[in-house]
Amino acid sequence: MEESVVSYYLFENATIIVSPTKTIDKGSILIKGNEIIEIGTTITAPANTVVIDCKGKTIVAAFIETYTNVGLPEPSSPEFSFQPQMESSKKGAYYWNEAIHPETDPSLIYTINSKANDELVKMGFGIAVTHVQDGVSRGTGALISLGFTNENEQLIQPNIASYYSFKSGVSNQTYPSSQMGSIALLRQAFYDLQWYAHATKKDLNLSLDALDRQKHLPMIFATDEKWEVLRAAKIGDEFNIPFIIMGSGNEYAAINQIKNLKNHLIIPINFPAPYDVKNPLIIKDIPLADLKNWELAPSNPVILKENKVNFSISSFGNKNEEEFWKNLHKAIARGLSVSDALNALTLEPAKLLKIDHQFGTLEKGKKASFMIYDSNPFSNEAKLLEAWLLGQRKTYHTQPTHDITGKYNMLLNGKQYPFEITNNGGKIQLKLTSIKSNRDEKSGLIRKDTLYPVVFLQLLENDLTLQFNLEDDFFKGSVNLHAKVNSKLGIFEGDGFLPNGKWIQWSAIRNEKLETKTSDKSVQIENFKPNIWFPNMAYGLDSVPQKETIAFINATVWTNEKDSVLNNATVIVTNGIIVFVGEGFHPIPLNAKIIDAKGKYLTSGIIDEHSHIAISKGVNEFGQASSAEVSIGDVLNPDDISIYRQLAGGVTAAQLLHGSANPIGGQSALIKLKWGHSADELLIPNAPKFIKFALGENVKQSNFGDFNTTRFPQTRMGVEQVYYDAFNRALAYQTAWKHFKKLGEGQHSHHIHKDLELEVLSEILNGERFITCHSYVQSEILMLMKVADSMNFKINTFTHILEGYKVADKMAERGIAGSTFADWWAYKYEVNDAIPYNAKMMMDQGVVVAINSDDAEMGRRLNQEAAKSVKYGGMSELDAWKMVTLNPAIILHLDAKMGSVKIGKDADLVLWSENPLSVTAKVEYTIVDGEILYSLEQDEALQAKNEAEKGRIISKMLESTENGEAPKPFVKKRKRFFHCDTEGENGSSEENCH
Amino acid sequence: MQIKNTLFLLMIVLSSMSIAQKKYNSILLENGFLHVGNGQTIETALVGIKSGKIVLVKNALAYTYKKEDWDTIIDLKGQHIYPGFVAPNCILGLSEIESVRATNDFDEVGTFNPHVRAQIAFNTESKVVSTVKTNGILITQSTPRGGIISGSSAVMFTDGWNWEDATIKAEDGIHLNWPRSIEYKGKKNENYESQKIEINHFFENAKTYALANEVEKSDFRLEAMKNCFVGQKRVYIHANHLQQILDIIDFVKKFNLKYPVIVGGYDSYLTTQKLRDAAIPVMLLRTHSLPENDEDPVNLPYQLPFLLQQGGVKFCIQNEGDMEAMNARNIPFLAGTAMAYGLTEEQAIQSISLNSCEILGISTSFGSIEEGKNATLFISEGNALDMRTNNVVLAFINGQFISLSNSQTDLYEKYSKKLKH
Repeated sequence: MEESVVSYYLFENATIIVSPTKTIDKGSILIKGNEIIEIGTTITAPANTVVIDCKGKTIVAAFIETYTNVGLPEPSSPEFSFQPQMESSKKGAYYWNEAIHPETDPSLIYTINSKANDELVKMGFGIAVTHVQDGVSRGTGALISLGFTNENEQLIQPNIASYYSFKSGVSNQTYPSSQMGSIALLRQAFYDLQWYAHATKKDLNLSLDALDRQKHLPMIFATDEKWEVLRAAKIGDEFNIPFIIMGSGNEYAAINQIKNLKNHLIIPINFPAPYDVKNPLIIKDIPLADLKNWELAPSNPVILKENKVNFSISSFGNKNEEEFWKNLHKAIARGLSVSDALNALTLEPAKLLKIDHQFGTLEKGKKASFMIYDSNPFSNEAKLLEAWLLGQRKTYHTQPTHDITGKYNMLLNGKQYPFEITNNGGKIQLKLTSIKSNRDEKSGLIRKDTLYPVVFLQLLENDLTLQFNLEDDFFKGSVNLHAKVNSKLGIFEGDGFLPNGKWIQWSAIRNEKLETKTSDKSVQIENFKPNIWFPNMAYGLDSVPQKETIAFINATVWTNEKDSVLNNATVIVTNGIIVFVGEGFHPIPLNAKIIDAKGKYLTSGIIDEHSHIAISKGVNEFGQASSAEVSIGDVLNPDDISIYRQLAGGVTAAQLLHGSANPIGGQSALIKLKWGHSADELLIPNAPKFIKFALGENVKQSNFGDFNTTRFPQTRMGVEQVYYDAFNRALAYQTAWKHFKKLGEGQHSHHIHKDLELEVLSEILNGERFITCHSYVQSEILMLMKVADSMNFKINTFTHILEGYKVADKMAERGIAGSTFADWWAYKYEVNDAIPYNAKMMMDQGVVVAINSDDAEMGRRLNQEAAKSVKYGGMSELDAWKMVTLNPAIILHLDAKMGSVKIGKDADLVLWSENPLSVTAKVEYTIVDGEILYSLEQDEALQAKNEAEKGRIISKMLESTENGEAPKPFVKKRKRFFHCDTEGENGSSEENCH
Repeated sequence: MQIKNTLFLLMIVLSSMSIAQKKYNSILLENGFLHVGNGQTIETALVGIKSGKIVLVKNALAYTYKKEDWDTIIDLKGQHIYPGFVAPNCILGLSEIESVRATNDFDEVGTFNPHVRAQIAFNTESKVVSTVKTNGILITQSTPRGGIISGSSAVMFTDGWNWEDATIKAEDGIHLNWPRSIEYKGKKNENYESQKIEINHFFENAKTYALANEVEKSDFRLEAMKNCFVGQKRVYIHANHLQQILDIIDFVKKFNLKYPVIVGGYDSYLTTQKLRDAAIPVMLLRTHSLPENDEDPVNLPYQLPFLLQQGGVKFCIQNEGDMEAMNARNIPFLAGTAMAYGLTEEQAIQSISLNSCEILGISTSFGSIEEGKNATLFISEGNALDMRTNNVVLAFINGQFISLSNSQTDLYEKYSKKLKH
């Protein structure tokens, strides 16, 4: 049978929040079916209308959730094997990589999950887009109403948006194994689509077909971290896609960059819980970054708003409605206006999803999806009374209509018991009085004690139940009572059990009425000034560092130029450039900070030719033997404490290399160690392009366990063929493009397939990209030189090159540089012949030699590593020093700007307490581009600031837990550092097999 | 270096041998700058060696000797004499190439393995060992890893024909890996309390066994623990965090351990007074390491030696960590770096010589250049704690010259010749 429904409902006398900007005080809404017919102050209802009095109540449009998987199964992993899975395991005419599955259509598998719907509805959401949270290209989202009837009614529109992320998800395919791999994979998929959409000769690909259909949908990109927001936006810019970016809640800490984006954000409000901070031994280990984020996260929404970033709010990460509203109120308390909060939950997402003609505000003609609260939920702790979802009613709370507060006298089997009922902000309590007489043993007097037994009370409409234990002059045991309430007369009448099991009638009469206390639950605006550091963690700076005018006087300068050593010299820096270098007196600009360097040594900054610091989520894309398409520059992490620590060791620039897990690795990033700046600001402008190659045990996976025996190559023989194959493909690709470009205008169609890997390999063939090759033994070194000779490309650098001394003559002939370790060996079989004399022996043959770190620890004492060549082989001190300054600059083709103390070069300078090669030398100042980014003095001040800030926030945290916030235990994460052969996104502190 | 004629010829022969065949009965080192190892120096020193012992340590300016008393006299003007440096807590000699499993002999299966002995796996022919001794490290504590009790370590010379004659002290101590109090494998260690209890139970059994007059059946594990309670066997407890260290202090008291040592001790600087009161020495972690927490002072690991020195805690420096075997040759530079952060040069030397030997329990014969001690020492052309000037030109173990060539110097010579053409 069909359900019986009336045609119209009228909600009257309500406070109606029509839209973020409009509220009607005593308004009415008339709805029919799932539609709003009329809204206003005076509405004449048709005859068959159910009228609902909403006096004192507030009606708010249903919120719209844009990031959820409600009603969808958790994605499950395909069968796992320890053997690497190179190919897609998904059968059918789909994309080659399992992490790209735009064909996923959740509307086909959506089923109503009442419990999950309920959670969202209780938070105030009535509409959601649900999607499968798995993979890089995740497929579409389906628009649903969160009602409870059936899928046919609740599924509003399939394919309303499409979803993307940086995570490969449950796919077991080896590629992508890093975030930079995911970035390259997604970019390639978009390029594939450009080609596919226009190609005439092509095989069917259902994934690309699906991706093509999604081009015009809102495209939502999920991120985990503030810098990922910028990474997602950058991909969007490349393909003209205005990604809507799902943030993670710490966007405030990159606001200077994020405010310049055009993208709309979705932000979660799952603010971190305070830590349990009772044990000082544990407090000691809580990172300041976590503490600062705890304090600042609730300000994220208002900071975004103040910086004119458009955003929607998602409930993502909130366990229940209590948590959601608590967090929303926190955001409002920090200054987010109610109207902005409402907008972010309703109109903004409606516009994004292009459903604002139906949802998002309460207007005539729109859908009847709204919530009725007992008061304004944005400014008070309100109760959700009813949810109306597409015109269907669900009741959550009924307001008690019977006021039973007052002083009563109860008659229980003829015995009198006075009690008092109070109502404190909705919490009804009963205070019962019973009398117990006790005989005092000494005096023999009777003492009457008044007892207050704990009473359980429940009032449902006019049904009252009471339960309590008595131990007094009349009864001993449990009393269970029920009564019907007449609140007007103040009379309870009913039945119940006495402790002796006797069924009785009882009653109570009110003597005096009491006031119902309404507790103040309104949201108080906090007076809070966000204190964001750059970066927002230990040793962060109060503001982004600025270039200064600096004059060093009385310094001993190791220039690395012809004049080599200057005594009592002056070096002046303005605008990030060295403007004067010379002995003796020189006029000093008035505004200069003067640093007296008497007895101290000034040098150019150390350049680490081989580093893996400041990289997020994977240094190796090991999923394929060639991953030329991936780029470290895509995943820079400017918040790595290693940057600051290495500044303290005099490092000012570094090549951040891809790892060594495959013969053709990824593209390098050449950076300066600009602590306090953004990811993009780390990159050296117009730096030459580099790529990592690798040979030997890592690429043939010799030390990766017994299961890793199936990826080609597994031998040095195979490694050679990987190169021939790759460059052969690149040549064919170039030829194809040449041919294509010869065609006249108009004949061009997009039928050449842009291939990111081959683009990069072509750059190598064209001499536009330099190779840094990880290498150990002479056979492989010679092999690659021969491959390069025959395929007509050049090798710029052999890095590690521990057997370089065996083939140094051949390297010198070809002008190939060597960047090596000072004394490492014996960590794997291929370094059995490594000797610490290597650097000196290569240098003697005319090879440009650098000493590098490949290690976050060693990176901060490269001066000591360079000094070892004085011991091993007798290198001169000045030559040894060049191995960590000028020579790496030459090797990286940066020597026009870096590597020596010379007028016109970048002001990347280090002041040492003594000869920098001494074991006791300390860095006193490190200057990058004229910015003082480390000094002994500043370091001391920053340490003090760290301590003070930690103390301040810990006190605040303690206060918040005392005020009822549930604390969570702190679990220390071991800091992980990347090395050449580190696999996976999280790094490893395991063995250091470089 | 001015060497007497006879010796100069001899050196050439020596370079191709491990331990010199011929015995030198009396050697006098004259005019070298002596770093005694106990904090003292003699700028122009006389050091006499007879029958493997140091028999004479004098100021050359105030002492006249008879030439005929010595069959070999070496003039060391401008050079430095050091006691043999020590590499404690190291897998040196137990591992050749870390990534090649067949060459690793330091981690046995099992949780309580005090009976497993490093001494008998020590490879005196190790190429790695040969490159360590050439930087002045003449003594190592060959140490097993893994489990809760990894096994018993042994104090060894870094040169010898076989483990037997390279042994200074067999089974000098057991190595107890204290559970991590805060995290374990990246997660909160919920089992810290129960893991402590497990250790306590083992020690209760071991102590009872040790003190019993007779036992029904001998137990090799408990037997190996015996001297920790009734002898001089050390209990090396590996731990870094404050919670662990405080618990260890209680543990030491509870079992009345006579020779406890904390190995690692990152947080030990925070509780120097307690450590001093409990007389627990610390074998400090590799000081060329990164601070543990982001907000720790950037140079904290470099400062640790000074902080313990200042706090009156007995300590020495070790270098457990990545590639520790090959890296043991850099131990002098760990001490050198500590000089930039407060240690004096002689304190720095002491932290890798006498202090180490005291903690290992071999200081009556080793660790300093004093009359009556074993003649295990070396000569460097310059400051041995600085990378530029550490240049070992002569070294003695048991009063005998040792070879200062190794596989790396061999390759150096071989390819230098090739490249000259």
